[in-house]
Amino acid sequence: MTTRLIGIFVSAVAIAALATPAAGQALPRTADGKPDLSGIWQAVNTANWNILAHTAEKDVPAGLGVVEGNEIPYQPPAAAKQKENFANRATADPESKCYLPGVPRITYMPYPFQIFQTPGHIAITYEYVHAVRRIFMAGSHPDDDVEWYMGDSRGHWEGDTLVVDVKNFNDQTWFDRSGNFHSEALHVIERYTPVSANNINYEATIEDPKVFTRPWKMSMPLYRRLDKGMRILENECYAFGLEHTWLKPPQ
Amino acid sequence: MKQSVRWSIVLAVVVALAPSPRAIGAADQGAQRPAAPAGGYAPARTPDGQPDIQGFWNPIGTFYNIQDLEFQALYQNFGRSDPARRGKSLIIDPPDGKIPYQPWALEKSNEVLQHHADPTPQYLDSNARCFMQGVPRHLNNREFEIFQPPGYVVVFNMAHHTYRAIPLNGGPHIPEPIKLWMGDSRGRWDGNTLVVDVTNNNDQPWFDVVGSFHSDAMRVAERFVPITADTIEYTSVITDPKVYTRPWTMKLTFQRNKDYGSELYEEACFEGNERTLELMLTHPGR
Repeated sequence: MTTRLIGIFVSAVAIAALATPAAGQALPRTADGKPDLSGIWQAVNTANWNILAHTAEKDVPAGLGVVEGNEIPYQPPAAAKQKENFANRATADPESKCYLPGVPRITYMPYPFQIFQTPGHIAITYEYVHAVRRIFMAGSHPDDDVEWYMGDSRGHWEGDTLVVDVKNFNDQTWFDRSGNFHSEALHVIERYTPVSANNINYEATIEDPKVFTRPWKMSMPLYRRLDKGMRILENECYAFGLEHTWLKPPQ
Repeated sequence: MKQSVRWSIVLAVVVALAPSPRAIGAADQGAQRPAAPAGGYAPARTPDGQPDIQGFWNPIGTFYNIQDLEFQALYQNFGRSDPARRGKSLIIDPPDGKIPYQPWALEKSNEVLQHHADPTPQYLDSNARCFMQGVPRHLNNREFEIFQPPGYVVVFNMAHHTYRAIPLNGGPHIPEPIKLWMGDSRGRWDGNTLVVDVTNNNDQPWFDVVGSFHSDAMRVAERFVPITADTIEYTSVITDPKVYTRPWTMKLTFQRNKDYGSELYEEACFEGNERTLELMLTHPGR
């Protein structure tokens, strides 16, 4: 069964590879000749529940996992911490508190996001808790003691791939609802490679010498949302259930 | 070859978007015409032909009590002698500078005003709880950035990392039952004036700290008029038949912020405010 699923997955990748247009063909491009990533995108997978392969449970859809080799190289104390996180996940997961979810998790949460692209600056606005990322194509990361939920993003192009170097994280976010975590030393290198007008291959290389024994990688496709009238709406997670606590006009 | 094709496209767009005498005439006939017509200043154009108003801006106004600027001076250390902050009200219509509330709504608003300085949760400005400020208040708070990628005007606030995307493609608003903190914005350039229609607002953000409010029937008609390279005059006409007796107009001036630098920082408001919020909610009335 597992073998068959992997077989289907491999065939799908092979078909996608065959369908990949030669460089310069079919991809929408901006005036400066770069691939135009503008638009509304979404990952369609279950990595937000668990980035590793997992069986379905109540309210948890099954998934093949997005981690290369399906293994996260934790250092022994970190492996124990992950188990503890998993046991306490209902309340310990930062998502349960509606906090900004960090990178790369925001990319594969089950909500759309919009990319706005100019030559010097790319902005990504996310539906979930109106998170926002600014990817500057110039400048450098701030000092290491600056720590942000969403990190500091600096981008550059390698051919048709947008490469984003993300640092300056805090240690308050997880990778998923299964307790997979990192420290403030997290360093993420994202690669956005468009393979067609409506499909981006997304890869994130994860480094954190305080938590892992070596860098590791996850990858997944991002799909363009083609829904009629599509726009980013709002998911103001932390406001739910509190609306009654202030004055409002009668309905 | 490719280069010249691109230039022709840019030129065509610029020509198409250049203000025609008729467009300016139409703007002048609008009921809420800005005091200074846009004719005197023509901003540079972005690559897709929009008047370029990008950069960091600060509102000159008050978010404390939009109907009474002196009121703010009593509570906060903004000098009354600062000419930028002098004046009675941000409301230019009706002429008395007051929000034209229906009687029940005036009563509600006064109730908040009386309790705002020592609020139990129901009298606490939702902005203080890190919820999004809504339109127009997110422009009347602190610094904000205007970004103009092709086909859009996007506003970024540092406070609460709020963003608002204004598409310029003329598409219809989203279905009426959807209500959003930041509303649904549809914009267009009328000459050098950015005109935005905002619907689908929810009823939760206030206009200020003291409880000036609206319902989920609010519609906002905005005009951003760049009058110099460093000044934008902004008006919003607020319509809400559930709460007001007539539409009213608020005016703000945005001044280019040249001190800030070129990047906004992350301000993760709710993440740091949660404990305060919990305390307030578990001890109502203290």
